[in-house]
Amino acid sequence: MSALWTTMNTPLLRRALLEVVLVGALGGVVGVHVVLRRQSFFTLALSHATFPGVVLASVAGISLFIGGLAFGIVFAVTVHLLSRRHDLDDTSVTGVLLAGTFALGVVLQSARAGGSKDLAAFLVGSVLTVNRGDIIVTTTAGLAVLFTIALLNKELILTAFDRQYSAALGYGGWLDLTVLLLATITLVVTIPAVGTILSVELVSVPALTARLWTDRVGHAMALAAGFGAMSGVAGLVVSTQWRIAAGGAIALAGTALFVSSWVLSGQLKRR
Amino acid sequence: MIPDLIDAFRPPFMQRALLEVLILSVVAGVVGVFVLLRRLAFVADALTHTVFPGVAIAFAWHESLFGGALVSAILSAIALTLVTSGRRVDHDAALVAIIASFFAVGVIVVSRSRSYTADLTALLFGRVLTVDRGEIAQTVVIGVVVLALVGLFAKELVMRAFDPDGAAAQGYPVWALDLLLNIAIALVVVAALQAVGTLLVITLIITPAAIARLLSARIPVMIAIACAASAVGGWLGLAFSYDASVNHGWRIAAGPAIAVGLTVMFLVVVVGKGGWTFLRGLRARRVGKPVSGDSAAAGA
Repeated sequence: MSALWTTMNTPLLRRALLEVVLVGALGGVVGVHVVLRRQSFFTLALSHATFPGVVLASVAGISLFIGGLAFGIVFAVTVHLLSRRHDLDDTSVTGVLLAGTFALGVVLQSARAGGSKDLAAFLVGSVLTVNRGDIIVTTTAGLAVLFTIALLNKELILTAFDRQYSAALGYGGWLDLTVLLLATITLVVTIPAVGTILSVELVSVPALTARLWTDRVGHAMALAAGFGAMSGVAGLVVSTQWRIAAGGAIALAGTALFVSSWVLSGQLKRR
Repeated sequence: MIPDLIDAFRPPFMQRALLEVLILSVVAGVVGVFVLLRRLAFVADALTHTVFPGVAIAFAWHESLFGGALVSAILSAIALTLVTSGRRVDHDAALVAIIASFFAVGVIVVSRSRSYTADLTALLFGRVLTVDRGEIAQTVVIGVVVLALVGLFAKELVMRAFDPDGAAAQGYPVWALDLLLNIAIALVVVAALQAVGTLLVITLIITPAAIARLLSARIPVMIAIACAASAVGGWLGLAFSYDASVNHGWRIAAGPAIAVGLTVMFLVVVVGKGGWTFLRGLRARRVGKPVSGDSAAAGA
């Protein structure tokens, strides 16, 4: 154990640990609302759709965070508008735009001289290269997201559970859009650490795990934040001990938590 | 620009690429229409990700990539069918969990190999320009199997798509039909994997079908439009990426170029259809008659 502590106690790894705890907790909290609204696929699509924004931002030399966020917002609004048509369902629209935007990112990427390294970093993340600025961005974005959720808590829960009643009260689709926006912000700050696909994992799996233990939204958010942070730490420790990709290890830690919760909660309920 | 569309296919490797893309267009077009009817875009996307660990493990053990992909695809098709037939958790979230864990295994296996990033990119985007005769033959064989499966059970699949309760009441095993379609999607992914990569497969399955749905509501017509749209998209995309890299020095990968082309086609059809409906509405208002035919479109 002390050997483990010595390897972890370098500035590099301390920053990485802080980052995975932050993104794990943030993903868990936002994830509860994403899962409640069944927007998981949409979130996966969003994570791919931010890619062209990231490439363009790195060409233009502006913050990758802003580029990704801008594309994420455009994507969320486009799907929201297109899926109101009668002849296309939202799943198909999301699928079409997911593939299209990601391909656009790849074309932009392949047209410049960078090669495939940035792309791989975008897909699987590189938590060990997280710097102080990234942590500040994650913390700020996280606080903003938590503040919004706290402010809109009642409305978010109402619209998630009773569409017709909330529509009658005058809450339109803007709350759906708000959750997607919060998810976009979360993804954009999470992607540098664990990459696209696994950032979606951090948004859905801890929330699903928490859902196995409780029916209350508040408790679920707290539990999901805990599960997210735990899988982040466990994955990072495993990945540094056995030199495997951190993003992959974090995702598998999340899955392991989910599977053990599934078995344990089933056992407890049967009793 | 017009002569380029034919001249680009002088080199034999471009002819092979075009042939491969055209075969895939037909297979993916047919399967895609069923994917659209069942709203399975997410399952299709999931299958393109879950093939990855099989390929990665086969690569690490120096086994055939094709075999690895096939095993992984069939296993994940079964897992996806099981998850989406249960009621305990939200399907979408469970699919994300499966995608992420399969993909994580793939990433971990690849991260142990030396040429990490290059391998990852090749798996995701394929190498359509280096397709050889053997791979084309492989695609044809899988394509025929997929078309036969879907063709034999077309009526049942359509019934299950529109009226799952009715199909179950008539004694059709709905789970078996779901598994059949999921395996068909998985086979398309495997057939296309080496040639065009996972990213383009998902485009070839979903986007042409969505274009077709915008233009027609009849299944045979949709299938014809979907196949034609992706064939045209494939042809234009290949020609464009060849022209861009040979004559202008932009290195634009062929697979993503096809995907972007199809998406642009989709957006053009969306805008065109919107404009058409709007014009018909204007004319009808002037004449004083209600808009006939697609009345829901006018209302939306």
